[in-house]
Amino acid sequence: MFKEYISKFLKLDRRWIFLLLTIVIFVPIIKPLGLPNISIGSNTKRVYDFIEALPEGGFALLSLDYDPSTRPELHPQAIAVIRHCFRKNIRVAIMTFLPGATGLIDEIVEKIPKEYNKKDGIDYVVLPYQPNYVAVMTQLGSDIYGIFRTDTKGRSTKDLPVMKGIKSYKDMSFAMCITGTALLDAWVAYAGDKYKVPMLGGVTAVSQPGYGPYLQKGQLKGLIGGMKGAADYETLLKKLDRGTKGIDSLNLAHFLVLILIITSNIIILITKYL
Amino acid sequence: MSETWIIIGGWFAAGLTIFMFSFLYKDNPFFKIAEHLYLGAGMGWLFQVSLYDVWIPQVWDPIMQGKLLVIVPALLGLSLVAQFFPKISWVSRYGFTFVMGYGAGLAIPAVLSTDFMSQVAGTIEPIFKIGGTFNTVSAWTSAFNAFFIFFGLICVLFYFFFSVEHKGMVKKASTVGIYFLMLYFGAVFGNTVMGRFSLLYGRFDDLYFYSSSKYFYASQIIALALVIYFIIEHFTSKKRKIQQEAK
Repeated sequence: MFKEYISKFLKLDRRWIFLLLTIVIFVPIIKPLGLPNISIGSNTKRVYDFIEALPEGGFALLSLDYDPSTRPELHPQAIAVIRHCFRKNIRVAIMTFLPGATGLIDEIVEKIPKEYNKKDGIDYVVLPYQPNYVAVMTQLGSDIYGIFRTDTKGRSTKDLPVMKGIKSYKDMSFAMCITGTALLDAWVAYAGDKYKVPMLGGVTAVSQPGYGPYLQKGQLKGLIGGMKGAADYETLLKKLDRGTKGIDSLNLAHFLVLILIITSNIIILITKYL
Repeated sequence: MSETWIIIGGWFAAGLTIFMFSFLYKDNPFFKIAEHLYLGAGMGWLFQVSLYDVWIPQVWDPIMQGKLLVIVPALLGLSLVAQFFPKISWVSRYGFTFVMGYGAGLAIPAVLSTDFMSQVAGTIEPIFKIGGTFNTVSAWTSAFNAFFIFFGLICVLFYFFFSVEHKGMVKKASTVGIYFLMLYFGAVFGNTVMGRFSLLYGRFDDLYFYSSSKYFYASQIIALALVIYFIIEHFTSKKRKIQQEAK
């Protein structure tokens, strides 16, 4: 009787779980719980430490290759890294291989440079979308102006103060690819390994475990993974934003999943063996 | 952008998100609208970005400035479109030949070096670096990690080695390899769950944003309208079913 009763749980309409998940994620958005983000990921810290150790006036090439489908995970990462660069007075060039990223890049440059009083063309530049990443990555190894003659505003990139002294990878402090695609692999192969430019990465949580070998070998100097990575970076930067705000919801949702997995397994054990 | 357009944009964003989520309850025409709109808008966006960021600055402007050499790669690129027209589809081979040639030339050495040679070296190097007095915990853990990864790699390779029958030591090694693979899949699954929840959080966060009075309670009104639709649809479909059964 008891077994029959509890085994009904295993046949529960999954839409009830969806509803429960909605409540668990939505409640902290309406009323934040302020759960702390205590454990900082070592790979995220490596990215932070790398940028922190750079001298002022350095040059960062950021390839923001994500579109709205991965925005909640990757947008906070990009914002945190750009804030860090601006705080360290590192010049920033933003580029993309994804057409869907152009609107998100506009969103960043409308807001973040103002916080640090940074000027377009002097402290940062946005380079236009380019297709065919292999050709672009290879060309950047010899002459950046061969592929990016103008920026998104049609100004000659060669004449912009932000590009002073920059011709190829060897003049850059680092390159970073933040992506929900496999483009980071290409950056490691065609830029990092080939031209020895220090590579940093930011990826979705799904792809994070796959980059372990690159980190172990030093082909990647550091990696930010998912929204947790963004929250870690914001914590290190002491500038809490949307990445950290999501931690409450993530914690509760993970807790719910754990409860569901444990409960289901206990029910299976009871119905099968007792 | 004017305030009115921002509010209209908010209604669109909230509406399309809710329409997409409505599929979790059941398939419905609003989900279909959102799905098709997503594909259409995506293609439209891709077209305008390609036109303004690639075609005009990289092809049109140089031609206008008299740099006619640009015509050669532009024609090679255009030749790819010919595959959609059976009578002249052979023209596309020129473009494809070029793409395949330089693509393979660039990719093969780079990928072999990055994903094969470097990773083989990365697995073996730490073992050769083991040495010293082993009087610290980190020295022991480093040594253990180096051997553990090496051992795991060999076992997983045995699992994927199909030219020898899997029995005896080979079977044991490949079984251990499966456990290593399962550990990896577990880590990936955990991260996948976290990633999907992050995306869900992102949409909910936006829905909450659009639920404010500034957006005239877009999220609440659209969600409520959809709930009413489902209730009406439930009763009308039930009525239809009864009528059909009566016939």
